[in-house]
Amino acid sequence: MENKENENKYGEIKLVHRMTVIKRIIHWVFFLAIINNIITGFYIAYPFLFFGKTPAQADSLSSGILSSGETYQAFIMTWMRYFHFMGAVLIDVIFIVWLYLAFFSWKEPLYKSFIPFGDKMVEAWKMIKHYFTLKNKPETGRYQDSLNAIIFTIFHLLILLQMLTGLQMYVASFTGTSAVGAWWPWLMHFSTDWTLVVFGGLTGVTLVHLFIMWLIIIFIAYHIYIEVWRSIMWKEGDILIPFGGYKYLRNKSETE
Amino acid sequence: MDNGNDNRSKENKPGFKWDPLRFIAKNPDETLKKVDGRLDKLEKECFGDKKDKNSNLKNIFDVYGVTRRDFLKWTAFLTSALMLPYVFKPRVARAANILTRTPFIWLDMADCMGNTEAFIRTAHPTPAEIILNYVSVNYMESIMAPAGYQAETRRTETVKKYKGKYILVVEGAIPTGMNGKFLTIGAKGGTGLEIAKETAKNAGVIIAVGNCASYGGIPAAEPNPTSAVGLSSVTNRRVINIPACPANPVNVVGTLVEYILIGKAPQIDGLGRPLWAYSGRLHDNCYRRGHFEAGEYVRHWGDDGAKKQYCLYMMGCKGPFTWNNCTTAEYNQDISFPMRAGHGCIGCSQPAFWDRMTPFEKPNADAKIIIPGIEATVDEFGVGLLGVAGAGIAAHAIYTGVKKNKNKENRKDKEKKESKKTAPKNGSDDSK
Ligand code: HEM
Ligand code: HEM
Ligand code: SF4
Repeated sequence: MENKENENKYGEIKLVHRMTVIKRIIHWVFFLAIINNIITGFYIAYPFLFFGKTPAQADSLSSGILSSGETYQAFIMTWMRYFHFMGAVLIDVIFIVWLYLAFFSWKEPLYKSFIPFGDKMVEAWKMIKHYFTLKNKPETGRYQDSLNAIIFTIFHLLILLQMLTGLQMYVASFTGTSAVGAWWPWLMHFSTDWTLVVFGGLTGVTLVHLFIMWLIIIFIAYHIYIEVWRSIMWKEGDILIPFGGYKYLRNKSETE
Repeated sequence: MDNGNDNRSKENKPGFKWDPLRFIAKNPDETLKKVDGRLDKLEKECFGDKKDKNSNLKNIFDVYGVTRRDFLKWTAFLTSALMLPYVFKPRVARAANILTRTPFIWLDMADCMGNTEAFIRTAHPTPAEIILNYVSVNYMESIMAPAGYQAETRRTETVKKYKGKYILVVEGAIPTGMNGKFLTIGAKGGTGLEIAKETAKNAGVIIAVGNCASYGGIPAAEPNPTSAVGLSSVTNRRVINIPACPANPVNVVGTLVEYILIGKAPQIDGLGRPLWAYSGRLHDNCYRRGHFEAGEYVRHWGDDGAKKQYCLYMMGCKGPFTWNNCTTAEYNQDISFPMRAGHGCIGCSQPAFWDRMTPFEKPNADAKIIIPGIEATVDEFGVGLLGVAGAGIAAHAIYTGVKKNKNKENRKDKEKKESKKTAPKNGSDDSK
């Protein structure tokens, strides 16, 4: 009896698989790497922790605590750059895996939902309308909804730009060869030298890198908000996707 | 200098592969033989007899009280600056000797003549500056004796007589607006554009000295009223750029010496600069780099960090964006460079440094971005956008709450009405 009542109120509940284990791992490694790169990147752009025990610096709270005396004992910038580059390696690998999965994943290739043509745009527009009218919730399907897919694609393009500008800054300290051979700096020059022309020299590239960071922060804010919003409004457990891989599907929506 | 005109050979395309032997030959012995053969030939051309050859540099240096020992030390310095093996040291000396007899034209275009000043006004000139003073200058407005029509004739005759052999050094940007009329030079009032093109056509080797000649420099800074450009934009000949403000005499003489040694343009980078001088980033060779890594920064001019020579990153040092050999070749009689003097680099050997490296005394992250109608740093702009996005999110959250309640009430109303009609209806009408 009780079950039936629930079914009436919430509709029929089914499980939908959305994220494979690999995708879930990618999601959280991505999360950690990006948070890490935002913190360390900020530091590189504008070193806010000061080391060294000069009288001028010791009266600041942070430097007073973190001062470590001799120069050779405090390699704070080294560590920041080191972690930034480790995060960058993760981001680069994840991007390439994402690119592969987007086209060749045999479970849920992303390109089925992200190519923004035809009815994909219509579907995305319906979702936006739903965000503002709270009516006519688009049906939950087997794949990501178009709006999310498009936004995730844009996000990955930002990451790509971040990689290219980052590698251009990185290759700046190479002088033509490297420990793994000359092909590595050559590859970076080959793939990223255009950024110098487009963004106006290395200073411009750095500023673009910095600016994209802000766009990524905005994406994160939007992304978390909208996933929480969906979980509350749709009652389909969207927030569980990156944890368990599943969300629920109901054939009845409360808001209708 | 005979094959000077085909110095755009394939091996010299801008590239990242560096050969200390300049791709002259695969075998080092053969390389030396070729270089020696070249020097022998040039010496025969330039000097009357053996005595002339041997006393030439001595006569010049005696005037300045530079001893033979000083000169030898300098050749060792230049050889290593050129990234040449040590065996080249005597050959560098011979090339310097030949250099003083090579026909030479120095053109001044739109700039402050700071490069000329830097070379001829030093109190204790090094051999580099002395050699630059004593090259057989056929035309150089600031130091030549002839004037007016005489001077013009001197230039055109040099071009004719030493076709394909003379060294052309150009200093200053070339205004191209109004057909170049922003800059007219000499008794006949030819435009700088014409003169530069004409003279470049038949030069053996062309060197653009200083940022203005290389990339337009300060005359080309926004909004560039005279449409000034660097030399390489007005000639299709290969131009070797020696940017910086002013260019380091070591780099100018080094490039000339290298040209005499190997007879072709040096290997250059993507911006037309000789790799031996411009392949290293200042930030990577700076003696303050340890403090950069340690997070020890100068925060105000004259603070304790400044006294301890901490890193100038936060005072706007542009060393991380600049390629040059200031930190190793050094300026002012080879004794100092900006960071040693306690001021950050201003990036003067990069294109458009007046626009891209400013503000000079603030970190790059504090630069104003160039979006029409917006004057903010990237961070201000980013925070602004984030604020707008945050406000949007908050507004949407509140809106959702309100709307949800309203919808609920509506639905209750509807349900009441519908229950009266007793015709159950599905709420969905997403046919649109
Ligand atoms: C740096 C932070 C984050 C980034 C860059 C990020 C990025 C992404 C990306 C790219 C996807 C799409 C995955 C795909 O299918 O390829 C995704 C999905 C998802 N993320 Fe995140 N994420 C972040 C943080 C979070 C957090 C903190 C949560 C909430 C706990 C979250 C919840 C979700 C959910 C629920 C999905 C699935 C959406 C769907 O399939 O419809 N994310 N995220
Ligand atoms: C979400 C990802 C990333 C964020 C938020 C981020 C952020 C930043 C920021 C804010 C800076 C400081 C820029 C400045 O000096 O004004 C920076 C520097 C840098 N980033 Fe990233 N970055 C990210 C990814 C990457 C990637 C993928 C690479 C690839 C190699 C990379 C390489 C670099 C390099 C080389 C620097 C310069 C370090 C230095 O000058 O010592 N970054 N990053
Ligand atoms: S002073 Fe300038 S070039 Fe030297 S380490 Fe600091 S930022 Fe780099």
